[in-house]
Amino acid sequence: MAGISEKRSGAYTLLAYVTLIVISIFCVLPFVWMALASIDSNVQLFLKWPDSVTFDHYTKVFAEENGVRWFANSLFTVLSATFIVMVVAGLGGYALSRSKAWWKQPFLYAILLIRVLPSTALLVPLYKILLTANNGIGTVLRPLVGEHYRFVMQLFGFIDGYLGLIIVLATGQLPLALWIMKVFFDGVPKDYEEAAILDGATLVQRIRRVLIPLALPGLAAAGLFAFMSAWGDFLLPLILLSSPELQTLPIGLFRAFLRVNEIDYGLLAALATIYLIPAVIAFSFARRFLVQTFSGGVKG
Amino acid sequence: MNKLVAGGLAAIALSLLAGTANAESLRVALHGQAGIDAFTPTAERIEKNLGIDVEIVEYPAPDKDYMTKLLTELAAGNGPDLFSIPSAADVADMVAAGYLAPVGAELAAWPEYADFVDVAKQLAVSPDGETYVAPYILGIQQIYFRRDVLEKAGISTEQPKDWADLLARAKEIKEKTGSFGLLFPAGVSWGGGAFDEGFSHLIIGSSTPQLVTDDGKFDLTSQGVRDVFQFYKDLIDADLMPVDPLLGPEPWVIPKYEMFPSGELAATTCGSWCYIFDWGRESRNPIPDVTNVVGTWADPGQNGGEFVLANLGAPWAVNAKAANLELAKKALLEAGSVENQIETAARIGNIPASNAVQRDPRFQALTELVPIQAAANHGTYLKQATGMSVVSEGVARATEALLRKETDAAGAQQILVDHVRQTLGDEAVK
Amino acid sequence: MAFDAFQKRKERQLLWLLLPALVPLLILTIYPALYAVYLSMTNEALTGVAAAKPRFVGAANYLRLFSDGRFWNSLFVTFVFVVGSAIIGQFVLGFISAMALRRKIVGAPVFGAAILLPNAAPEVVAGFMWISMLAGGDHATLSKILVFFGLPYVDWLQTFPLFMVVMVNTWRGIGTAMILLTAGLAAVPAEVYEAARMDGANPRQMFMRITLPLMAPTIFLYMLISTVSTISVFGLVYALTRGGPGNKTEVISVYIYNQSFAAFQIGYGAAGAVVALVVSLALGIAYVRSLKVEV
Repeated sequence: MAGISEKRSGAYTLLAYVTLIVISIFCVLPFVWMALASIDSNVQLFLKWPDSVTFDHYTKVFAEENGVRWFANSLFTVLSATFIVMVVAGLGGYALSRSKAWWKQPFLYAILLIRVLPSTALLVPLYKILLTANNGIGTVLRPLVGEHYRFVMQLFGFIDGYLGLIIVLATGQLPLALWIMKVFFDGVPKDYEEAAILDGATLVQRIRRVLIPLALPGLAAAGLFAFMSAWGDFLLPLILLSSPELQTLPIGLFRAFLRVNEIDYGLLAALATIYLIPAVIAFSFARRFLVQTFSGGVKG
Repeated sequence: MNKLVAGGLAAIALSLLAGTANAESLRVALHGQAGIDAFTPTAERIEKNLGIDVEIVEYPAPDKDYMTKLLTELAAGNGPDLFSIPSAADVADMVAAGYLAPVGAELAAWPEYADFVDVAKQLAVSPDGETYVAPYILGIQQIYFRRDVLEKAGISTEQPKDWADLLARAKEIKEKTGSFGLLFPAGVSWGGGAFDEGFSHLIIGSSTPQLVTDDGKFDLTSQGVRDVFQFYKDLIDADLMPVDPLLGPEPWVIPKYEMFPSGELAATTCGSWCYIFDWGRESRNPIPDVTNVVGTWADPGQNGGEFVLANLGAPWAVNAKAANLELAKKALLEAGSVENQIETAARIGNIPASNAVQRDPRFQALTELVPIQAAANHGTYLKQATGMSVVSEGVARATEALLRKETDAAGAQQILVDHVRQTLGDEAVK
Repeated sequence: MAFDAFQKRKERQLLWLLLPALVPLLILTIYPALYAVYLSMTNEALTGVAAAKPRFVGAANYLRLFSDGRFWNSLFVTFVFVVGSAIIGQFVLGFISAMALRRKIVGAPVFGAAILLPNAAPEVVAGFMWISMLAGGDHATLSKILVFFGLPYVDWLQTFPLFMVVMVNTWRGIGTAMILLTAGLAAVPAEVYEAARMDGANPRQMFMRITLPLMAPTIFLYMLISTVSTISVFGLVYALTRGGPGNKTEVISVYIYNQSFAAFQIGYGAAGAVVALVVSLALGIAYVRSLKVEV
């Protein structure tokens, strides 16, 4: 009896191995092509072993194309957005956790619903709103900065400017981050704060001395997910940016791919690999938070 | 942390400062590496002659993505100062939307404009009688065929007399060589090409050669339109045209850059640029000795006649809301200059719009293009009207249905009429 | 009384803390959603006369939408896309992976990492990589692999476009499903299996009678979330097929984009967007309800 069961168990284990190997190959194969193509001196659109190894494609990304600039722009806008998300969601999440007000529940439901809105549906109105804001800030800044107007607007403009992209990217990540932080603070006992209140600490002091140190793991999770999502976003920079100085990696990649009759797959693969690496690093850190946050911060 | 952010901002501000010397700058939208390379000397001339900075902005490459970006920005009022419009069919609508500054007076006062071929000048005039674009190159399109493939199979390379003759030639190619006999761009993913590079070739030789009536309405229910769709249908049903690649993204890549060079496709509509850009010295997959191996036929008419289809190649226009309108208009004339015409012709293979190039040795060196430039003086063209881009999209949808074998010629015509009627309203259609 | 005042002051303070999150959400998501409803009742366009003088057209866009075969097609494509990739593909493969990884597997972390890798790939990169796998008939990597095994190939994105898009989206989500379902499996107490084994149940019976019923809430939750997030997928499909060939892979988000930015009809595109909003919200509300969260 035990023999049969063990034999059967062995067969199941073998089946498990076969299944896992097949699924893993399915999952990894496209990455293998991309990695090989990026160092192949004679690159083709299909998977093949490199004729000879070269790093020319990577050199080209940085030397001939504006790779450094694209990377720096992506990193700058996405990190800024992530930082904003962590601060804003940290404060908001705390408020949502501690409040007993009537608006709390509708608000939490509402931001869950925001996550289901298709982004293409909001694009045109969003563009119009940003444009109004852009014209507003332009009117204020033009007399102040005179001849430097153009690049001041590239910094603080809402259309074709860093500020606009950062704020829009950050807003998109807020709902999930607020939920993560709210659930996180629910798990932080109120004793610490109450002790601090008894000591006469103000709200600001309470936040700085007690809550920020306690909240770091939650902030890490919120920040990582915000970073990954903003890093992968391609529609917003596509619509919002035009100046070559502001281009980010996904747009550089998309444009290189659309060059009619001039597609250079080696360059594309190198560019895609460079773009992929920060996302993989962030994901490997975020993996442990996946279960808690997948359901919108609700314990499944 | 705040210091860090402020520091980063300051560093970026400095790096942006470093690139600017002149106070005024002009923003020019372009797409595609070839277009940017061709424009670079002109940009330098504008900077030198007008004492301003030229900032070239690379927009997404395929025409459709370029237009999306350009129109989004123009609608928002933050478009580039000077830009080219890939498909002339879009001009009338952009005029109606108020995006383009009138430039007729400037062109009339410009001495060089007298040398431009009449077709180019006529094509530049909008339905309201004003001119909003500077023509500089022309797309002169004909049917290009593989002379070597036809001769080897013993098929006539004579100019086809009429549509029936053209269709018979395509059938003969299929029977004797197994290659596809004739391609007219069609379907949605080719964008404006289904109209500009396909449908137009046939409609100008049909019994109703214009789509626009005298009062500016579209006449789409005509027998000519029906016959054109029937011609497509005959090509598709007899399997003379490569249909599968046309249904995918980047539909031009396989037929034009792979099948035609390899001989799997023996004839296709194309412009003069094909000799240089698609299959010639600027191509990735060139055909050796292209001017001898590849011959051209004019478009035959339905019942005879020969037509050389002319349209404006990516004309230049000035943003009506340009920061400095006068400056942008001066730059426009530089963009329309004979120098830019020749440099672009050399890069992309279009035909200069000015007859002055006939006296220029740099153009004479482009031997493939010289005879075509002379032929441009008796080119035929389609009248433009507001809503032309909608007709263009309707033709793309109608031919898509034909490609998918979902409808017949009457059905395709109905798709076109319905699309235009729904989009522009009943009053726009005759 | 004093306590009440304290509580009120505290709530006011908390509202201030929430304000930096509230303001951008109101301006950049809620307001655009309402504005889209207004736009859907105009003939606003990016070019032509309507761009210069948009006018109110009432329900005309909606009437046109409901008689537009291409719109119904996009709803159907979206349905197949969601059911095929989120509900069947990702779930089945994720569940199989999670079950397999419960055994004592040598190199389990390597398998786990491999299956999770696609989750990290940005949409544009995923689209680009899969074009190499699928595009170009005999050039495609998948075709080469089949030829190696002596099997026939086709032009994947032309012949089975929707199936291929479903497959690629499945590929992106196996990892998440696996992780979530692993957590669900771990929550099933070991004693239950022990007791069943004592009663002589075979693995199939244990799976059908214990694992599945106990996992049902997790599975249901997973399906709702993945359904809702799959409806809004845009970049992947756009990078891979742009909705083609024909309209065979034109999911609703791509349809909206094509109407608004390729046909330049903002008002009409907005009407499509509003319908998508209503459908997504209905599903979203079902999701929120079924969570029964204590907040």
